[in-house]
Amino acid sequence: MAARQPRFNQHVLIDTTPLPDDIPKVKEIGASSAPLMSASFFIGARCKPYNDDYMMCKTESNGRGELECMKEGRKVTRCAASVIEDINKHCLTEFRRHWECLENNNQQLWNCRSVERPLNKCIFDNLKLEKTVPGTPEGEVPVHLRKKQIFAMHG
Amino acid sequence: MGVPFEAFLPYGIMIGMFAISGAGLSTLRYMQNGGKRGRRGLDAWDRQMMERDRRLTGFMRGQTDRPEAPPGFELNNPWKLEKRFL
Repeated sequence: MAARQPRFNQHVLIDTTPLPDDIPKVKEIGASSAPLMSASFFIGARCKPYNDDYMMCKTESNGRGELECMKEGRKVTRCAASVIEDINKHCLTEFRRHWECLENNNQQLWNCRSVERPLNKCIFDNLKLEKTVPGTPEGEVPVHLRKKQIFAMHG
Repeated sequence: MGVPFEAFLPYGIMIGMFAISGAGLSTLRYMQNGGKRGRRGLDAWDRQMMERDRRLTGFMRGQTDRPEAPPGFELNNPWKLEKRFL
């Protein structure tokens, strides 16, 4: 016997079991996979402290992180939404061109470098966020800044 | 010495049948991918992101760059029930 009665209808579209009020409310991110992939390095550039904070909270709460770190998680969501909002405000055409290219090329970044460069430049000029690839060895040109690319289908 | 045209009718039928099935499959794939090129080499993360795209846009390959989700997005997440394995 199930403790909760299942609901199988299309009419009750309100949250019948909302979260308690002490958890701050937040709107979920509305961007889908390709725009998120396109914006990922800039989200990382602006939101690194929040993300690290959330991961540290989850590590320290011994498996109950999903419940206890909701406040930190809200900050992560809000910060990512702010980055996407700013990109939409300042660099919408470059952003759209890049994520449409990504969506057409199996979401592989190395296939869309030629449309990524204007996006990186526009975001650096307007938002002061720079794409850095974590884990690049010292003294080596990062993969998105190399002059010569050996193989790409789109270019 | 001419070959009668009846000799080529079966070849015409065979080629026509291959053409019909090929065009049908290509149309099906075009519709499934929404006119874009197909995804390949998907892992569990890609599959769950595509499922999230479907929840956001109503289509597996649909994309949107809104910063905030439309109302009702947080409610259309079905419970994932685990299959019994015993």
